[in-house]
Amino acid sequence: MTYALYILLFPLFAGSLVGIFGKPLRALPSQLLTTLGVAISFILSAILFYQFIFLNHAPINQVLYSWAVADQLHLNIGFMIDRLSVMMALVVTFVSLLVHIYSFGYMYDDPSKQRFFSYISLFTFMMLALIFANNFLLLFFGWEGVGLMSYLLIGFWFQKDSANAASMKAFLVNRIADFLFLVGIAGVFAYTHSLEFSQAFIAAPSLAQTSITLFGHPASVLTVLCLLIFCGAMGKSAQMPLHVWLPESMEGPTPISALIHAATMVTAGIYLVARLSPMYQLSPTALSVVMIIGATSALFMGILGLVQTDIKRVVAYSTLSQLGYMMAGAGASAYAASIFHLFTHACFKALLFLAAGSVIIALHHEQDMRKMGGLARKLPITYITFLCGALALIALPPTSGFYSKDSIIDAVQQLNAVGSSYTYWCLTLGVFITALYTFRCFFLVFHTPTRVDDPAHVHETSSTMWIPLIILAIPSLALGYLLFKPLIIDSPSWFGNSIVANHAALQTAAAMALDSLSHLPFWLMLAGVFTAWLCYVRFPKLPTWFATRLSLIYIVLVDKYGFDRLNDFVFVKGTRKLSQFFFAIVDVKVIDEGAVHGSGKLIAYLSQWARKLQSGYLYQYVLVMILGLLVLLFWQI
Amino acid sequence: MISLSAFLWISSLLFAIGIAGMIINRHNLVVLLMCIELLLLSVNTNFVAFSHYLNNIDGKIFVFFILAVAAAETAVGLAILMVLYRQRGTIEIDKMDVLNG
Amino acid sequence: MNIVDFHILLPEILVLAMAALVLVIGLFSGRKQSSISYTLSQISLLISVVFVWNQIGMPTLYALHNMFILDAATTLSKLMILICAIFSLAYAKPFFNENPEKTHDYCLLFLFSVSGMMMLVSSNHLIPMYLSLELLSLPLYALVTIQRTGMNAEAGMKYFAMGAFASALLLYGISLVYGATASLSLSTIANSLQLLQTQYSTMALIGLVFIVAGLAFKFGAAPFHQWSPDIYQGAPTPVITLLGSAPKIAVLIMAIRLFSQSFVTFAAHWQMIWIAVAIASMALGNIAAIIQNNLRRMLAYSSIAHMGYMLLGFVTQTPGGNAAALFYVFAYALMTLAGFGALIVASNQGFEVENIEDLRGLNSRSPWIAFMILIVMFSLAGIPPSVGFFAKVGVLEAVMSVHMTWLAVLALIFAIIGCYYYIRVVKAMYFEPVEDASPLYSSWGGKVILSLNSLIILLLGIFPSSLIDLCRAVYFS
Repeated sequence: MTYALYILLFPLFAGSLVGIFGKPLRALPSQLLTTLGVAISFILSAILFYQFIFLNHAPINQVLYSWAVADQLHLNIGFMIDRLSVMMALVVTFVSLLVHIYSFGYMYDDPSKQRFFSYISLFTFMMLALIFANNFLLLFFGWEGVGLMSYLLIGFWFQKDSANAASMKAFLVNRIADFLFLVGIAGVFAYTHSLEFSQAFIAAPSLAQTSITLFGHPASVLTVLCLLIFCGAMGKSAQMPLHVWLPESMEGPTPISALIHAATMVTAGIYLVARLSPMYQLSPTALSVVMIIGATSALFMGILGLVQTDIKRVVAYSTLSQLGYMMAGAGASAYAASIFHLFTHACFKALLFLAAGSVIIALHHEQDMRKMGGLARKLPITYITFLCGALALIALPPTSGFYSKDSIIDAVQQLNAVGSSYTYWCLTLGVFITALYTFRCFFLVFHTPTRVDDPAHVHETSSTMWIPLIILAIPSLALGYLLFKPLIIDSPSWFGNSIVANHAALQTAAAMALDSLSHLPFWLMLAGVFTAWLCYVRFPKLPTWFATRLSLIYIVLVDKYGFDRLNDFVFVKGTRKLSQFFFAIVDVKVIDEGAVHGSGKLIAYLSQWARKLQSGYLYQYVLVMILGLLVLLFWQI
Repeated sequence: MISLSAFLWISSLLFAIGIAGMIINRHNLVVLLMCIELLLLSVNTNFVAFSHYLNNIDGKIFVFFILAVAAAETAVGLAILMVLYRQRGTIEIDKMDVLNG
Repeated sequence: MNIVDFHILLPEILVLAMAALVLVIGLFSGRKQSSISYTLSQISLLISVVFVWNQIGMPTLYALHNMFILDAATTLSKLMILICAIFSLAYAKPFFNENPEKTHDYCLLFLFSVSGMMMLVSSNHLIPMYLSLELLSLPLYALVTIQRTGMNAEAGMKYFAMGAFASALLLYGISLVYGATASLSLSTIANSLQLLQTQYSTMALIGLVFIVAGLAFKFGAAPFHQWSPDIYQGAPTPVITLLGSAPKIAVLIMAIRLFSQSFVTFAAHWQMIWIAVAIASMALGNIAAIIQNNLRRMLAYSSIAHMGYMLLGFVTQTPGGNAAALFYVFAYALMTLAGFGALIVASNQGFEVENIEDLRGLNSRSPWIAFMILIVMFSLAGIPPSVGFFAKVGVLEAVMSVHMTWLAVLALIFAIIGCYYYIRVVKAMYFEPVEDASPLYSSWGGKVILSLNSLIILLLGIFPSSLIDLCRAVYFS
């Protein structure tokens, strides 16, 4: 228990200390302080992990501090420490620590390092609060906290207009999602009179039976609540159609993209669904919705990765697609596989981002792939580590991505629910697309003839940057093999009963790797890599030819299916019209002139009058007192 | 035998005179102090009368305390009055209106 | 007085004895050793804290023939009074440095007043109640005048005259209650009031209204509030840190004991009276503060408004309401200390912070002090996460629990109006340009005390429940 508390407190203190006293502390001590804080957190998380997974400590669900009590509403700060949260904490602190170290190099020539390190430390604290929460209140606190840090970090280079716009977009999209999430939380409280997860789980079966009428249709309360909460998850985990903010978020520094927009924060939605699996499991409708939205995101966001030219955006779209895989897995009740993919994805996607960042720094903040190429020899370490990450991403057996992704696809294949066959085909095709865009990016950056402006000055980045790459490359390759048995096959698995587990593959890890040769996804993946080689290395003219012949599709893709256009048309323009109406009629006429100015004038008038009452003459004060006394006397007698 | 209500009337009359003095008098602060003294005396009258008619000693004891406190109060009041006179050269209540609003 | 009584009275005896000691030392020591009486006073207050601390958890005890009571409420509030006094005296340190010849007098009067507050809290009889109320007030009249400027003297004279008038009202009320019940002890009054005939009952009721007026004056609640803006403006700032904080705690404890114990029979009457006083205070305080430019006057009107909110908890007549009022007055005492303390710290030689314009651009001159004032202003406005927010939530919840929603809504409207003038201060500090942007130098001591005070406010805002639980424990036994 105390360990968990300290895991949270160290990043909090280091972050706030550097945030407040950053200037007098100077850059290097600030960086060391925050890194130390997260390092201690990581070590404590590892201890906690060992205790819970190997020593079988019983789950702890405890209220630490009762913040405020109002009638039935208990606002508590409480921790739920079980196998799921412990594993999650280990992953978060691990990636966060590496990103801290990596940022020493990446932010080397940035003037406001203290601010940056303070933000990422505080982000780590918020994320851990979200993970360890045992009630919706603390969860929501962490949820908004990571969101806040994310907006601040997207807009970190606030001198750039695009960064500010991206930050604003992320903020607005998440507001919509969080509003619905909050409604969901309020609903949970309204029906269970508690904000604790455990109470909600106990009440779930009866809520599934209760039905309410919404818009004239009867619906199960549980389904409605699950869907509302899922809206929150959709926003944070950037599922269609609330995904638009994630590609834009690449305006932030690259370590942030690795930490927040790949490894940790965006997976909070998946964590949420897994954490609440006892609720979702009882609502087949909600599960199907989760699965279909996840599958759609997995395929169609991947396709968009094919036409991107910015290296970070390619990785960003691949993140969207992989989040879709996880969501689909959760929707298929394969929570274990979903979280498994979350872990492996955290490693290899952080690796890919950091490697991309290394490329960007080596090229002096150049992100356009059309100005790269032939970097394999110049940046050998980055090259090899990027390749490791890419192989894991396309799920080549026996890398880590293979085990987790195939577990999800297997689970969906065996499932017989509404939308499961659609999901299966989306995910399977997605494998081909993933391989295609990943290796397109890989070839364009590292192999094809160089298009760099000044190739002579390109050299490998500093050690603080490539050491984290190597550290991340190892789990990217091996983690799947190691965790496959304890997480997926074993019963009980490492998750114990912290999530609902009802999926068991019956193969050993090695057998699964061999077996994959006879499965469709493996060959699709190879086809994808081959196509990428064909299009971008062997016949570089091919893509242009496709683009002109299939111009309609190309335009649609470059336009990102028109989501931005739609948003712009419906929400931005519509809202603007609506707000213009409100501004002109309601605001100016009714509120400003009537209510605000009116009441303002009234109050100012009253205030003048009250001032006159205070004349300064003693006898008048006595008179007022006596009059007051007499009024009270005659009123009461 | 004078009735209790007679005492109560006389004391409330004293009290009213004291209050009226505080409100009507706009010139001399010393008169104001005297009015306050009058208020306390009317209270004392009340206490003594009640104490006598209720056959209860508490009221009379209270009167002694009130007398003592009134003396102390007047001392403090006169001291402040001295300071005021030294600073402003006047003890008119009407002139005490710098602090207002 | 037997030995048990002595133990119960130990904190008060200590403070009084120390006051006498300071008196003697003041007579014999020269001007140069002025700091000795300051140190001595602080030490005596600290030791008194230790004594009170040791009384925590004792059962309800009576001393001096039931005239003096010691229970959970008195211990907790004495602790708070002493803490306020220590802060207030620490804020006065720059004043002592500038006026060393006043130090002895100041400390002497200060300690007498504090002992009066402590005794008021513990009075269980109307005679000690009156005496300690006077012991509280008389030194304050003198303290207000301590610098002997024209403003001081005018403020002191007004305070004195009106204070004397208010205590005359209180005494008149007491005499009528005495006439109706033949008793001055709080517990026997309660018994005899239940058995009254009609004409005596009316007399007691008239007495009750007079007593309400006397106590409302001490709170500074409308319509008995008019002394406070003038005194807050005219008195030396360190004196206001005491005058505005600790006495309100003492008077509240006394009022709760007096009304919910002795005047239970008239509960319906005094509830209505206090509600009227509370509404008048909230309305007048918040509205009149808006137009003020002088910070002290503004804070004075804000104190009137806050007393209104505090009374809301008291008028519910439930244990929860009393606890909420107690929490409110604690929170308010801390906030008012920090508010006036900040004025002291933000002023330095030759530059006195008087008006809101004087705080312009404070953020660029001293960001830390500006941040501390920001905390205080947010807390006074009741913006989370500060203790003021939870104080307001507490009283509003208490009011809602007795189904007086209209009152809660009214209070909320006035609170929103009230936000305006607090935010105005913040706006001046952070968003208005400053002509003289030279950094502000203030003593480390003052800064540390102010930081401590403001951080307590912030900390209690983030973790309020320990103090709330303490307050609830007092009235739910």
